[in-house]
Amino acid sequence: MIRYENIEVSFDGFVAVPNLNLEVKEGEFFTLLGPSGCGKTTALRTLAGFVNPSRGEVYVDGKRVTQLSSDKRSIGMVFQNYALFPSMNVWENIAFGLKVRKESKADTERLVADIAAKMELTDEQLNKNISELSGGQQQRVAIARALVLQPKILLLDEPLSNLDAKLRVQLRGQLKDLQSQFGITTVYVTHDQDEALTMSDRIAVFNKGVVEQVGPPEQIYDSSSTEFVCNFIGDINVLDGALIQRLNAVSMRKLDPAKSSYLRVEKVGLARDLVGAAAVKVNGRVTARSYHGMHSRYTVDVGGNSIKTLVTENGPRALHLGATVDLFINPDNVLQY
Amino acid sequence: MKTSLRSMVRSPMVLVTSVVLTWFIVTFLIAPNVGLLATTFFPNGEFTPRSVDKLLSSDRAMKSLGNSFILAIVLAVTVNIVGIFIVLVTQYFDIRGSRILWLGYATTLIYGGIVLVAGYKFIYGQNGFITNLLLNYFPGMNAEWFTGFLAVVFVMTFASTSYHMLFLTSALNKVDFQTIEAAKSMGASTLTVLWRIVLPVLRPILFAITILVFLGGLTALTAPQVLGGPNFQTVTPLILTFSGSTTSRDIAALLALILGVATMILLAVMSRVERGGTYFSVSKVSATMQKQKITNPVANAVVHVVAYVLFVVYTLPILLIVVFSFTDSASIQTATLSWDRFTLDNYITVFTTQSAFEPFIVSVLYSAAAAVVVVGGLLFVARILQKYKNAATTVAEYLLHIPWILPSTMIALGLILTFDRPNALIGGQVLTGTVWVLLVAYIIIKIPFTLRMLKAAFYSVSDSVEDAARILGAKSLYTFRRVLLPIVLPTAAAITALNFNSLLDDYDTAVFLYSPLYEPLGIVIKNSTDGDNISDAMVLTLVYTVLLMIIMGLSMYAVYGRSVTSRRKKRPRALPEVPDQPATRVGREPQPDDARVTVR
Repeated sequence: MIRYENIEVSFDGFVAVPNLNLEVKEGEFFTLLGPSGCGKTTALRTLAGFVNPSRGEVYVDGKRVTQLSSDKRSIGMVFQNYALFPSMNVWENIAFGLKVRKESKADTERLVADIAAKMELTDEQLNKNISELSGGQQQRVAIARALVLQPKILLLDEPLSNLDAKLRVQLRGQLKDLQSQFGITTVYVTHDQDEALTMSDRIAVFNKGVVEQVGPPEQIYDSSSTEFVCNFIGDINVLDGALIQRLNAVSMRKLDPAKSSYLRVEKVGLARDLVGAAAVKVNGRVTARSYHGMHSRYTVDVGGNSIKTLVTENGPRALHLGATVDLFINPDNVLQY
Repeated sequence: MKTSLRSMVRSPMVLVTSVVLTWFIVTFLIAPNVGLLATTFFPNGEFTPRSVDKLLSSDRAMKSLGNSFILAIVLAVTVNIVGIFIVLVTQYFDIRGSRILWLGYATTLIYGGIVLVAGYKFIYGQNGFITNLLLNYFPGMNAEWFTGFLAVVFVMTFASTSYHMLFLTSALNKVDFQTIEAAKSMGASTLTVLWRIVLPVLRPILFAITILVFLGGLTALTAPQVLGGPNFQTVTPLILTFSGSTTSRDIAALLALILGVATMILLAVMSRVERGGTYFSVSKVSATMQKQKITNPVANAVVHVVAYVLFVVYTLPILLIVVFSFTDSASIQTATLSWDRFTLDNYITVFTTQSAFEPFIVSVLYSAAAAVVVVGGLLFVARILQKYKNAATTVAEYLLHIPWILPSTMIALGLILTFDRPNALIGGQVLTGTVWVLLVAYIIIKIPFTLRMLKAAFYSVSDSVEDAARILGAKSLYTFRRVLLPIVLPTAAAITALNFNSLLDDYDTAVFLYSPLYEPLGIVIKNSTDGDNISDAMVLTLVYTVLLMIIMGLSMYAVYGRSVTSRRKKRPRALPEVPDQPATRVGREPQPDDARVTVR
């Protein structure tokens, strides 16, 4: 459906994206994930036609669109700040693109009413000024404005970043539902790993303009292919060479103590059966505890390694600062790079 | 991102705007200044330092230069003392009736320039109300007491506190109140907090204001001309006198150049300080300012008394002008009030006699035409400068700021000297002495402020709004017309109103360039202050003053009063800010250098 082929983007000599090759399938919810300045928005804007690549091609539906203006690419976009036109009311915002296309008045009315109904925007809201809407309502208007032109692709550039935490979680679900309802190919940009993991069919993790890994959320999380992805996604423990050697001394699986070794926080257990039969027992002293409601997070000093572990509130409560505790680490869960 | 010149001029709108802009810059911004330099140093085509020799040998000119610098230095002190005090009592200390006080002190926002000077002369002059009052108690006193250096300093001190009302107030309200609370929690007294926490944060803005006040003193025209008398002459009135004669025009040009150079140096210093020394709150959740109680009862009483004395000084001229504008000429001449002398005749005269309302119409037409032309033209220019970044747009932007770094005297003189003969740049026409030259000057002096504001307005529109229009299929002209223009239009209207306001009673530029057939209001008001006796012209001036204040007050309300509502509901506007009570603000940060073109 969408294909980036050897795309290079540079700004005044600075190469933001050196060589991007990426494919997005039809109907997919595809996320470009990465920290600020990693090139994910540049990649999105290249697809939208706002950025001209210095090299390479962009294809949509097998058709080369690199030189096409943004309105000819059959793409709808929802901007980070929604970019609603403040001088127009909600109805005028949604109808803007239809008017530019010189749709008949009747068609414009019908199409706006249609998309407004789907986006659950009332007649009263359609007559409101943009400034009178809440953040969530503005987002729905922005999506309606993009979808009313029936694009093949919907681009979402961090549309949840301006909202408060609770609304963000709520709207994640709504966005995903909408995408499923319309079946539209969606490219979503975010720096929030939770958003990426919960919403995406597939994720591309960006770092310094380069795609480090592409895959479904589970694969990205459990089998991070690079050290950057491993560090960027989720919460990890760093294991030093001495601890790896301690594991090697007991375990059948031999790890390389010279490599960088990481272990996800939830893969450290207080009991063997929590992390698998092959787990190795190590001993340490509790140095910190933080309470998170549903669970607590303990830091245990294991031979100079600060090993973090999660304990649900239904689990053992007897751990206290300074206490000695047994931890179980399954070498199969250790990620090495 | 840089845009190539070729891709820029592909748009017909950009091409046409660029051609017109280039012509305008060359003709009206570069040529007059080159002409001024030529008149000064190359009067006969060859370099000669004769004008310098003439200046150095003219006692009158050298004394005037000295007086101007003395005035500038003294004003830098007196205006800051009064300005800081009025801002503190209205915004920082908990003073009873601070809203009323604020209204009194803010009168200079709608009442300034020649109107203010004429008003003060009307009250304190030889036949003024206050002078008459004083003569009743001190019959031996000199009736011409309100003249010379002290009178000029007095009037200009109160006229120049607008800078403080606008910019110091705004800066004070941005001081993070948590820093004050922190200092108090560590035991600091009210005075220590003010001295050690608040004022140091305001130091950069105070420095900028001081430079602006200094420049105001240096280039002052109206107050020294009307109130200076024979013993206190300053440079700008002298330039005006010298420019009237062909034999002394070169000295006038040289004096204007000296003022221009001094202005440039001081503004460069100010920009440097602004760039390097502005303190921003580092707090992510800065708290709004809360008024401080003066705990010492004696100090509190003294501050209250001084605040209200200043209130009387600010409002008395306005109050008496309004009252006397409704009395007959006999009352005005004798400065006495009696119920049976009140009449509407003066207003009827102004509205029904052609010679009386003509100056008003002339000024309204000039101001409106200049305000509309400058905003209308610069809407396109500002858009181009905001959208396209390349060497050409950068140079154009710098050149458009020429009027910002030059005193209006120099601009006026440059126009006179360049266009007093047929000039190829304007199709072989002569401009000097025509009705058009003043309009051109008004347009020129309003360019920097208008451009800065409009550019800020365009910049305040998120790039993604434009991207959104593009992806929805709108072409660039359609986007400009349907999306961008409606967004910046409220700002453009507000700038038009501010420009209109500040030109309506202009005297400083008009006195050099007006056509005798179409005398603007500023000239008529100034003429009414000539001589010792209160003339019929003075009676009309009182009515003009009241009408001007109403017009300016209404337009200030239209611009700022309504923007308080719009702050709550609608989009922010990029404007220099007028503090409101309580101070809440959105939009563009006020820039002290805006003051050069906004403060009256």
